[in-house]
Amino acid sequence: MKKFCKIYLPFASNELKRQMSYKGAFYLFILVSLFGSFINYYLWMAIYGSSGKATIGNLTKNEMVIYVFMVYVTSSIVTITLADWVSEDVVKGSVAMNLIKPIDYRLSLMWRASGQMVYRFFVPGIFVWIGMEIYKVKALGMEVVSPVTALLYVVSSFLSFLLYLLFDFCFGMVAFFTTYIFGMLMAKEAMLSFLMGQLIPLSMFPSVAQKVFDFLPFSSMVYTPVMIYLGKYSGSELAFVMGRQVAWVIFLYLLGSLIWKKVTKRLVVLGG
Amino acid sequence: MHTVKRYSRLYRVLITQFFKGIMQSKVDFLMGLLGFFLTQFLGIAFLYLVFQQIPELSGWTFKQLVFIYGFAQIPRGLDHLFTDNIWMVAWRLVVSGDFDRYMLRPMNVFFQVIAEKLQPDALGELLVGSILIVMSLRDGIMIVDGFHIAMFVISILAGAVIYTAIKLFFASIAFWVKVSGPFLSTAYELSNFAKYPTEIYAKGIRFVITWIIPFAFVAYLPAGFFLKESVSVSVIGIECILAVVFMAISYVTFYIGIGRYESAGN
Repeated sequence: MKKFCKIYLPFASNELKRQMSYKGAFYLFILVSLFGSFINYYLWMAIYGSSGKATIGNLTKNEMVIYVFMVYVTSSIVTITLADWVSEDVVKGSVAMNLIKPIDYRLSLMWRASGQMVYRFFVPGIFVWIGMEIYKVKALGMEVVSPVTALLYVVSSFLSFLLYLLFDFCFGMVAFFTTYIFGMLMAKEAMLSFLMGQLIPLSMFPSVAQKVFDFLPFSSMVYTPVMIYLGKYSGSELAFVMGRQVAWVIFLYLLGSLIWKKVTKRLVVLGG
Repeated sequence: MHTVKRYSRLYRVLITQFFKGIMQSKVDFLMGLLGFFLTQFLGIAFLYLVFQQIPELSGWTFKQLVFIYGFAQIPRGLDHLFTDNIWMVAWRLVVSGDFDRYMLRPMNVFFQVIAEKLQPDALGELLVGSILIVMSLRDGIMIVDGFHIAMFVISILAGAVIYTAIKLFFASIAFWVKVSGPFLSTAYELSNFAKYPTEIYAKGIRFVITWIIPFAFVAYLPAGFFLKESVSVSVIGIECILAVVFMAISYVTFYIGIGRYESAGN
């Protein structure tokens, strides 16, 4: 165990250092990424204003505010993309170096991602979260979140983080077949923002679509933790949605191992 | 006259090189296009789901918002197609010293920057925009007469110039700070605010996207002119004036920046 940490921890800490060194640019990117949340916020306010309904897709107006900003917090720690690292390694050929080292390539990527996750949890995740809680109590007159719910949310988000990484690793294997992954990445991001519930709460989709989403891993990535945070699940339902996250983590882990085995067999690297 | 001829011949040569590049990587091109297409399609699907809940948003119907969405894509796509290389100035060319090569050739520097690259991904935006506008024409929600068609073309061109001007201005900051990519993306992403009616935003945001970084004039404001009789043509006039003013400011900034440029050595 000690040796394991000694090998993989540097991947995390290096990434953390790398993130810290580009602080200036990073603050601007935070601002940019918050644009989307603010657009959604204003849009939803206008939608609730013109609909005259108290709830849309089972969410009240106040819950929607929390939804929009908690989606931001959750996505910032969950959606860390391995695929472009894989692509870079394949294009440059440095993946060959990773194959001859006595380490697990996927694990090293995941540790690297966790360095980024830790950073994003502090900048800006937790600040947006606290800001939202203050807004919720002061402006919306709601109760502050209970420690149990907050804890369940953190656990569920961590499962989402693993789930997303394992999925993205499988996706990143595309890099072995094409050198231009940019278009694919964009298509993936667009699809996921929809299927994970980033753009719009999944409860607003027609019920047929919701049934389909139940069988896909994506709803477990962002929608589930945010709904847990909103206190929409309790008792056995809560156990079920979190159990489903664990099941997806295991399934995608096994799938990733299988694909990796197949792909590395046909890999050709020129030079090195 | 002679210069125009020379520049158009040079542009043709540069663009031919570019097409050779695309033909070499057809799959990449198609994948980029597909990615764009999907992004735009999901944007519309989002609007559709929202409008299942409400009849109209701040006085606009679903079909009208689809038109605005499509209309916004065309100036954006035009700018994206022709001047994508400005991004490279912001991110890479100045800091790496590669900007040298533009300074050495006896040609207009701005011309060289934009002529270096045509961005095929932009065809996705142009295609989506055209499809949505054709749909709006079929639905009969647009005002169609000679005057409006002429204004349509002018508005699209002015919109594209506004995009270019904003990009050029923020890319030029690179001459002072070496890498201005983050500033440029911040400004560019503001265009997303203009996808929806500006009335939904707080006053401060509305002011910024109307007058400081005028993306509202690229899409939402002129789009009203083609949808509602009550909107006066002066909105297109203001759009054109803004396009000229912003382009002038950016162009001057760009040239002052070039004066400050120092190479990265070898």
